[in-house]
Amino acid sequence: MALTRRDALIRLTAGTAGAVATGAASTAVLSHSAQAEERPAPPINAVAMLYDNTKCVGCQTCVAACADANKLGPNRKVDALYRTNRDLNWTTKNIIKLYKPADGKSYSYVKQQCMHCIDPACVAGCMFKGLRKDVKTGVVTWNAKVCVGCRYCEIACPYHIPKFQWEGFNPNIVKCEFCKERLAQGLQPACTSVCPTHAVIFGSREEMLAEAKRRIQESPGKYYQDRVYGEREGGGTQVLYLSKVPFANLGLPELPDESVPEKYLKWQKRVYSYLAVPAVLYASVVGVIRNTWKQHQEEMAEEEKQTGLRPQL
Amino acid sequence: MIDTWERDVPVYDVPIWTRPFAVLCGLSVVALGLVTYRELAGLGPASGMNDAYAWGIWKTFNTMVLTGLGSGAFSIGIAAWLFKRSRLHVVMRTALLTSFLAYFSGLMLLGVDVGRPWNFYWVFTPWRWNLHSPLLEVAVCMPAYAMIPLLLENVPPVLDWVHAHRPQYRPVVETAERIMVRFYPFIVGLAYLLPAMHQSSLGALMLLGGDRVHPLWQTPWLPLLYVWAAGFMGFSCVAGTILFCSLAWKRPIDLDVLTEMNRITAGLIGSWLAFRVADLLFSGKLGLAFAFNIFAGLFWVEVIFLGVAILMLLDSAKKRDARLMFHGHLVAAVGGMLYRFDPTTLAFQPRAGAFYFPTPVELLISVGFVSIAIAAFMYVVKVLPILPAPTGLWYRMEKEHKWTQDREVGASFVAAD
Repeated sequence: MALTRRDALIRLTAGTAGAVATGAASTAVLSHSAQAEERPAPPINAVAMLYDNTKCVGCQTCVAACADANKLGPNRKVDALYRTNRDLNWTTKNIIKLYKPADGKSYSYVKQQCMHCIDPACVAGCMFKGLRKDVKTGVVTWNAKVCVGCRYCEIACPYHIPKFQWEGFNPNIVKCEFCKERLAQGLQPACTSVCPTHAVIFGSREEMLAEAKRRIQESPGKYYQDRVYGEREGGGTQVLYLSKVPFANLGLPELPDESVPEKYLKWQKRVYSYLAVPAVLYASVVGVIRNTWKQHQEEMAEEEKQTGLRPQL
Repeated sequence: MIDTWERDVPVYDVPIWTRPFAVLCGLSVVALGLVTYRELAGLGPASGMNDAYAWGIWKTFNTMVLTGLGSGAFSIGIAAWLFKRSRLHVVMRTALLTSFLAYFSGLMLLGVDVGRPWNFYWVFTPWRWNLHSPLLEVAVCMPAYAMIPLLLENVPPVLDWVHAHRPQYRPVVETAERIMVRFYPFIVGLAYLLPAMHQSSLGALMLLGGDRVHPLWQTPWLPLLYVWAAGFMGFSCVAGTILFCSLAWKRPIDLDVLTEMNRITAGLIGSWLAFRVADLLFSGKLGLAFAFNIFAGLFWVEVIFLGVAILMLLDSAKKRDARLMFHGHLVAAVGGMLYRFDPTTLAFQPRAGAFYFPTPVELLISVGFVSIAIAAFMYVVKVLPILPAPTGLWYRMEKEHKWTQDREVGASFVAAD
């Protein structure tokens, strides 16, 4: 069918109108949602841990206490010895590692567990809120009733914390949940409650931050860059670190102040806020298709007349 | 016979049981058997996945890459319905079938891949949705697309078959068609909105990977590049499939339609490449492409595949050489697949010492699920009018008593219409 001037004009007008409408609506929504965005703050009653590796003697009491409190069995497949895993895994929510440089420079232990980020990447990625951040305590918890086991949290976490149970037909996502049952009973987490040297201590995030800064002030130069890791890194965490060696050597990456979701999902959030952009897009698309559809039906009728065959949609 | 595609005609003169079909069925059965093993033993024993490479080829290849190939219904549909390339309507049924099968196979395998699939029912409870998650977007949109617009758009060929072979149900068919005609624009509209959303969100998935994804691939434009790649991959998959079937089963080839497809594909690839290089240039990362390492190598392999594909597609259109066209689309598809695969696996570096290679069980399941889709395609095109052909072929099929079993019925149905 030849394109008449009238058709072309109608099409052009419809197309332009659609594009303008889409553009205007998207700009409105995007700028609105951009205003609404602000950096997430820690909850008012945020709990926290402070780990100071100048005090840690690497006794691993916290590792055993964690396994007991969380009823984590031994994983003899990983290591022949009881609970001496090399890394966090689905039977280990908390681990002490040793950083020992080959050149004989200062060595250090490091405790690894979930950092309980203020704006967690795992929570941002989780489809059905299987991982969520408690609004009161800020603890990032896992819910077996909704987790689909997609393992996106493992892809997203900048600290490589969530672990998947690679065995059996009913696998879990395993990570430190700040001993949420103990917290509910008014107890400390298992690891902080047993540490003989108080290398890891428990308190509110404000207290822990103040304590860390006090220690830095007391002995300037003792700690790497006189910096509390977790105050701002990756949007801030609820597990804070003081270290005598560079944080990167301990497996704590140098992250910008922006959290991972803030940095990478900015546009995703804007485009999908209120589903306004998709809705406008759909309306414009249907508008154009209804026009094409009329032409297509005419073409089909024409073909039916010529061939005597049933038209094919 | 003039080789103009006017109508979709079943591949009526080839037996259904052929050796390749039997092999594909065999692979599918093996895969389904191995799925039982995976479900009982867990993902660890069955696959090479681990806590560093938590996503294996079932997600990264079978879903994230192959649904790109299965985007023919999306990209060709947009060309035909939104940009009024009306000649392309004749290949739409092939596009719709390849897309549906690619999505179906990918989604089924996702069910095998996730650890706790029984919890997926939460997808029906919007208050559980985390709207900011790209994965939620994929999880809602992808099945919705496959099960609503794609499935509905694949119904007309089935109605054609019922109309011809089960005359007693013709009133039902006609009612169904009347309803479809009424709502068709709204269904078709969804068929472009939903893939535009989830194909871009597949790219957005890797955004949260952050530094794990090599900077040559990690960019805020990843969603756009993913959906754009789906655009030309869809074209290449459909054109390549039709060319392969036509050459293998000696069916007439309409070089005009294919030339149009070649030009659009080449244009999409060219603009995609330009955008990708410009993005690297303006973000100051182009220098990484000239480093001497595997990542720069991967980048150049993609660029060379896609660059060569453009040349082959344009050259074959000029020479009107169907075989060269097929090879051009093959190279384009491989280039696109590499781009979509690299940031998920080859250019994905979780941490030093991390290693992933799929186990034989994992590979067999992956291949088996692709086989299910291909075998289903081979079966369906022999039974239903899917592949494009000249109207003459339809008349010949009717004359050979292959479409309507009863010649009387056939005759009356032509007359009645």
